[in-house]
This record gives sequence, C-alpha cells and structure tokens, in this order.
Amino acid sequence: MSRDKSLVVDGVRQFFGPKNSRVQALSRTDLVIEPGQFVCLAGPSGCGKTTLLRLIAGFINPSEGQITVSGSEIIGPGPDRGVVFQSPTLYPWMDVASNVELGLKFQGVSKDQRRADSERYLQMVGLTDFAHRRTYELSGGMQQRCQIARVLASDPEFILMDEPFGALDALTRERLQNELLDIWRKTGKTILFITHSVDEAVFLGSRVLVMSPRPGKIVFDEPAIFSKPGESIAAEEIRSLPAFLELRERVRSSIQHSH
Amino acid sequence: MVIPLEGLEYHPSGGLADQHGGPAAVSKSAPLWVRVRKNHWTTRLIALAAFLVVWWILTTPWAWNGDKPIMLPLYLPSIPSVWNAFIRANTIHPIAEGVDREVVGEYGYYLWQHLLATLQRIGIGLFFAIVIGLPLGLLMASVKIISVSVEPYINFLRSLPPLGYIGLLIVWFGIDNTSKIWLLFLAAFPPITIATIAGVSGIKEDQIHAAQSLGASRLQVVSSVTVPAIAPDLITGIRVALGFAWTTVVAAELNNGIPGIGGLAYLSGTELKTPLTITCIIVIGITAIVLDSIIKAMERVLTPWRGKA
Repeated sequence: MSRDKSLVVDGVRQFFGPKNSRVQALSRTDLVIEPGQFVCLAGPSGCGKTTLLRLIAGFINPSEGQITVSGSEIIGPGPDRGVVFQSPTLYPWMDVASNVELGLKFQGVSKDQRRADSERYLQMVGLTDFAHRRTYELSGGMQQRCQIARVLASDPEFILMDEPFGALDALTRERLQNELLDIWRKTGKTILFITHSVDEAVFLGSRVLVMSPRPGKIVFDEPAIFSKPGESIAAEEIRSLPAFLELRERVRSSIQHSH
Repeated sequence: MVIPLEGLEYHPSGGLADQHGGPAAVSKSAPLWVRVRKNHWTTRLIALAAFLVVWWILTTPWAWNGDKPIMLPLYLPSIPSVWNAFIRANTIHPIAEGVDREVVGEYGYYLWQHLLATLQRIGIGLFFAIVIGLPLGLLMASVKIISVSVEPYINFLRSLPPLGYIGLLIVWFGIDNTSKIWLLFLAAFPPITIATIAGVSGIKEDQIHAAQSLGASRLQVVSSVTVPAIAPDLITGIRVALGFAWTTVVAAELNNGIPGIGGLAYLSGTELKTPLTITCIIVIGITAIVLDSIIKAMERVLTPWRGKA
C-alpha cells in the first residue's frame, strides 16, 4: 500500500456537545484513500458522512485519533483539500470568473495567468458565457458548476464533495454527474464524494463506502468498476450492466440493514 | 443582532423615486381619481397642495376676523414671509428698512454657509465614527473579552439623549467646533459598531471555510470575505448613524452654533424670528432626506447583491 500521497484516517472518533451529555457522531474510523480514487460515501441523512468530510477538510478537529496527508497531520483547512459544499458558497461580491480565480489569487498567481486558468476551467464546466455575471444570477446547477470550477482551478490534490448535487433536479443532476466523471477522467484527481443516493454512489465511484448511523461507522467498502480513468462508457450502458445492478442492490441492502 | 428600523427594508426593484411610488405605468390622461389610486406621487402632490392651502388659510388676514389672520405671524408666519426670510438669508441686504448699512445673509453668513458648516461637522463626526466604530465592531465580534466588557458601555451611551451630555463635552472640549464634533461622533459611532457586529455574526461559517480551503491566509480571509460580507450591514449602520447625527445637530449647535443650520434654527427661534426658524426647519428636513437618498443610492451601487445572495 503506497502511503506517500495517501489520505489516512487513523483511529478517529468524534463527539459533539458538552462533556456530560456528549453525543458520539463518529465511532472509531480507519480509512485509507489512495491517490486517484473516486471514493463515494453513501448513507442515510445524519449518519456522520458530513462530519467525516469536515474532519478531513480540517474544519473541525477529531476528538480522538488523527488524519494525515502524505504522512503529515491535518490541523486545519488547506489548499491541498478543495471542498465543494452542499449549498454553493460563492461570493456574491465577485463575478463568476473572480470566484473561480480566487484560490489562485490567494496563492499569488499573476493576473494574466489567473485569467487564462479561469477561462479554461469555466469552459470545462460550460460557464464561459457567464464569466462576468454575478453569482446570484446563476441557476442552482450553474452555481454548483462554478463551485467545482473554483476548486479545480486552485488545483488541490483532494476534492471533497458534500452532496453537491443533492438539491438539483434529476436531469441537471445526471448531466453534472457525467461532467464530473469526465473531469475526474481528465484530471485524475482524488475525490471523496458524499451522497445519500445509492445509485449516484455506485455510478460515480471507483470505490463505494456505506456509513451506518448513530454513531457513524463504515460498514461497507468495495471497489466499483464502472468508471475507470481513461475509459468512457455511456451512462445508460453503465446503468444497465448486470454487475452495476448487483452492486447497487448490495449497497442498498447494506444501508437498510445498518439501520 | 439586527437593527430593526422602519422604512429601511430593502426593495429589490425599488428605484429612488418609486420606493413608495408604486407602479408608474399610469397614463397622464387618466382621470385624477385613477391617478390617485395608482400613483403615490400624485397623492403626495395633492397632500402638499392641501397642506399649503391650510397654511394659507391660517395666515391670511380675513375681513370677518377684523382683518387679522387666524394665527398670529409670531406663531405661524405666512408663506410669503417664510419665502422672504429664505431670500434674505441668501442675499446681501440692508440691516433694517431705510438703513444704509448692508449685511450678509443671517448673522454674517449666507444660509448655504450655515448649512455647509453643519455638514462639515457631521462629515467629520461621521468620519471618526466609521474609523473608530468599524474596527471596534470587528474587534468586539472576534474577541469575546472585548465584546463582554465594552458592550454595556456602548448600550449605555446609545441610550443617552445627546442634550444630557453636551454640557459635559463643552466643559471638556470648549465651546468651539471640537465639542460639537465630539457630540456628533458619540451619536454616530454606536450604530456603526453594532451594525459591524451584526454583519460579522451574519457571515456564513462555510464562506470562511471555503476561503481557507482555497488557501487564504488569515488576512486574506478578512479582506476577501469578512469585509465585503459585512458591507451591506455597515452601510445600513452608516445610514442609521447619519440619521442620529443629523437629529443631534441642533443640540450640538445650541451654544456658539453660528455658523450652523441648527444654531441658526435655535437662535432665530429665541429671537422670535419665526419665518427664519421655519426656513431652517424646512432646509434641515430636506437635507436629511437628500442625504438619506444618497446613502440608499450608494447601497445599490456598492452592494448590488444585497438581499439576493
């Protein structure tokens, strides 16, 4: 197992609330995410998926255990771990392009280089025509695409996505799933993708995890073979493969049994 | 924390003029009662005309009243005499009828000079209120000890009527401009501080997290997220502060307030120059509305996302 660039969750437990009435959000969790994996974490609402993502993002510190990237412990948020939030956290005082360039600006990249990069990523997510619009003029799906472009532009090693397509209608959702797969195939980024949709997890992931609720515990961990870097099979084809249907069924039953 | 204020709600589509003006799509040829129902400006013009008519009735000499007006000029001067006072305050004129000596405006200054002197004091007071109030608000929002220890004093200061402490300020800072500016500053800075605190506490945690995950340093978070995020609240705070400062202006100019529009209003009243007092009141009121409109316009230009994101 190559540990050099892996993300390692090592004996992490998480509690919330005051000492005498604390609630356990996450039972002891061990997890290794290898570079290039597209890890989908499925589970019912409130099972601790988001807690795990926020721990890895560095927004909260683990009550016990530690999380390391390339061997060094995570002590806070950092540009190596980009986050796509459930509801888009774009900045309304900047236009779309400036939002996408923000990470590069923080890193001190020159203005011309930033422009060129943002144009590239806006094209990748299909927002070229909206570069100089205000973010609140975009639809929900466009805002999510803008958020993805913003994270891609800052070139993190890990992309952490917290139910990014949860609030979108089915059609937009499917289109963005395909776009995200395309991006993953092109860039080879390591992705942790949280969802409550079994279908989405099995369709997108190269590895599928299931978390059981109260306290959160990973109860299912298997590779999914349907989307590999370098390949591109039509979405409908994947969804009709017997192996896809079989894995989806097993993931579904593992979620039902974990309740 | 929210500062509830009547008439400060944001109207997404409201222009300056039609904020309360309703839809303007009423034909000019429509009958009057239709226009009154549909267009608030028509209603306002009619109300103004009615007001002036009542004023005229009350101040015109009537034969049945022994050729005297219903209200004596000392209490309510006639419309022409207020207009004359306005003209007089803006021109060089003889000191009295039949006297050769000519004087400038009122008390040696034109009316606009009085107004300008007051605007200057308010400008300086408001400037210091922002320079002190904004950082203080940021500090109070981020350092618990400061907020816990300072907040009661700000609330205390906020509840004091300015007339209560103008005497003290004169003892401390003298009778000239300094004490007046201090008074306006003290009236203006609490709303700005409180608005800043409200703004900071209204920032969504994930907006900060998102910036940190994009690699922002502490300073970059403040400059790229905190400051723009509180801008709408800050502008509201400045608007409230300007309103407070403006209503405090007569108190600030009670002593040695010439030049100054508030001082002029007070002094002319004490000398029974009622037409001049009414002129001052009208000027003070209209200026306040104009200043408020300017800030509302700034709000739309500087923070177009307000209420939308």
